[in-house]
Amino acid sequence: MALFAFGVGCKSNTDKAAKYSLYILAKDGKEYLLTHNTLDSGVLKPEANGVLLDSKDMDRDVFAKDNFFYHLNRKTGLFSKFFIHSGQLKTDGALLLKDFSIDNFSWISQDTLLLTGFNLSGYNHAKYKLIKINNMQMIAEGDIELPPPSGEFTTQSIGFVEKRADRLFIGYTYHASQGISNYLSSDTFYVAEMAYPAMKRIKVEKDTRSTYPGGPNTIQSYGFSNQQKDYYFMSCPGIALGNRPEIPTGIFRIKANENHLDQDYFFNISATLKNHAYGVWYLGGDQAIIRAERKDLYKDLNDHYSTAHFEFYIINLKTKSAKKLHLPLDKGTRRECVIVEGDTAYISVNSTKDGNFIWLYDIKTGSLKKGLQLAGDTDFIMRIDRLNP
Amino acid sequence: MNINNELLEKYHLNTCTSEERKQVEEWLFNTNVDEWDTTGFTGDKEVLKNEMWQEIVVDIPPFAKPLPTRTKLYFMWKGAIAATLLIVMLAGLSYFCFKQTNVQPEASISLINTSSHQVKHVDEQGYSASVGPNTAAKINSEDGAIDLKGSILISPKRDITIAQGLHQSTVLKKGQTYVILKNSIGKSGVIVISEKNLLDMPPVMQQQINTQFGI
Repeated sequence: MALFAFGVGCKSNTDKAAKYSLYILAKDGKEYLLTHNTLDSGVLKPEANGVLLDSKDMDRDVFAKDNFFYHLNRKTGLFSKFFIHSGQLKTDGALLLKDFSIDNFSWISQDTLLLTGFNLSGYNHAKYKLIKINNMQMIAEGDIELPPPSGEFTTQSIGFVEKRADRLFIGYTYHASQGISNYLSSDTFYVAEMAYPAMKRIKVEKDTRSTYPGGPNTIQSYGFSNQQKDYYFMSCPGIALGNRPEIPTGIFRIKANENHLDQDYFFNISATLKNHAYGVWYLGGDQAIIRAERKDLYKDLNDHYSTAHFEFYIINLKTKSAKKLHLPLDKGTRRECVIVEGDTAYISVNSTKDGNFIWLYDIKTGSLKKGLQLAGDTDFIMRIDRLNP
Repeated sequence: MNINNELLEKYHLNTCTSEERKQVEEWLFNTNVDEWDTTGFTGDKEVLKNEMWQEIVVDIPPFAKPLPTRTKLYFMWKGAIAATLLIVMLAGLSYFCFKQTNVQPEASISLINTSSHQVKHVDEQGYSASVGPNTAAKINSEDGAIDLKGSILISPKRDITIAQGLHQSTVLKKGQTYVILKNSIGKSGVIVISEKNLLDMPPVMQQQINTQFGI
């Protein structure tokens, strides 16, 4: 299937074994997908080492697992599974998902993928797709029984999906569209407990401590389960997601053995940093890494993505403390930019002054050092993914 | 010393010896006549002397003419003419240097869509654009100033500069696609974003943009 325009890549046949992929937006607006075996050192240039992507088919809301990439083309409705071979994208299978927009993906098992989202035609009708990825077959699809938007609210979004045995916890909220360039989110977020796989609603919890729970995890991560299987997620009311900047960014918890939000747990990130944050990655133990904006360095949405103003913090979930990492200021509003492996967190940083690098954070010693450089035409490292275990 | 017609003739023809020449010249320019025997000379010494001066004057180049006296008016006119020439030269130079911008200015971009629901598509020489409902947009070609009510999706066919504030400008690069929106929730007047960075916009706003422009 001629889905993708094949670029001028010059990679070898070893692509399939590569450990990492990097999605690059170049200065000339071209986009490249690169695969590489190490993030520790070296220099890559997207125009020389990457596969040129066709913007009609591809965008960075592409996620990876076991050497394959998955992407929904919003315009054609084709959900594709592909890999890179000899400098080209090769399609391994595809499914037509009509009138569907992905808000979240969850790996239910090694080869079962749950996609949750809404109707493209209105973003007000929650739907799911359960897919066997080995042969890209639909196992089940249908509606998710979430109360639809009403009153002043016109649309809805799902920010996280956490599966526990025969239950699903789905975090969501509502939005009021106010023309093309303005909107508001509700000041409340909701967590629905659903029976799985029946997808029937058991109950819905309301919480007004923050809003916009999680976010589209095809672009960036907003939640994780720790070693005890307690689930943590970040709320994102800042202007880049919820657009309720007066409400604090926070971290919430659903304990492993409980089926409701932990009302006693709230890590108020905004109170600690005096800024909003977007994105969280688990480091192990009580530690996680978050990416926070600097409201004193950008003006508004117009320069939020192009100005380097993001900082990374190591947070302690138990003591609710934060420690800033001494990295260059990073640009790009939302990016999948951290990979954690053993004692190392690989952090991609797009610095206006110092270039585009993968930095290595040693979780045990707290030391930082520069690793792989993305040079040449690179403007943004848009995402980094681990391709295989 | 003898001065006679034969010697003078030889002097005249420049065939005498150097000693004879010296003798003739001493006689000619000396007023003491008693030292010379001039019995062999039948002419008039003064006439001869004048004739010889005439020959010398013909041989030497004419005197350089003295510089005429310059008046203040002269210098004023000279300055004015020089300045005029300089201006003409600079004008010529700038004509070639700034030919494209000054002589053939790009037309300012003016887009209007009065429909309250439909998106209007336009294809001009310098750009193609989709104009959102209830939109009036003007981009001044000279200073890049933008006046916008509503929203546009624009793909320039040559670079277009948009001024944003006093010191900030954004270049819309040829061949790329940009969304320009009235900034309803920010400090700046407009949001200018490449289609490639659209995923950095809040998802709710992205949905609104995607739905409106069909991208």
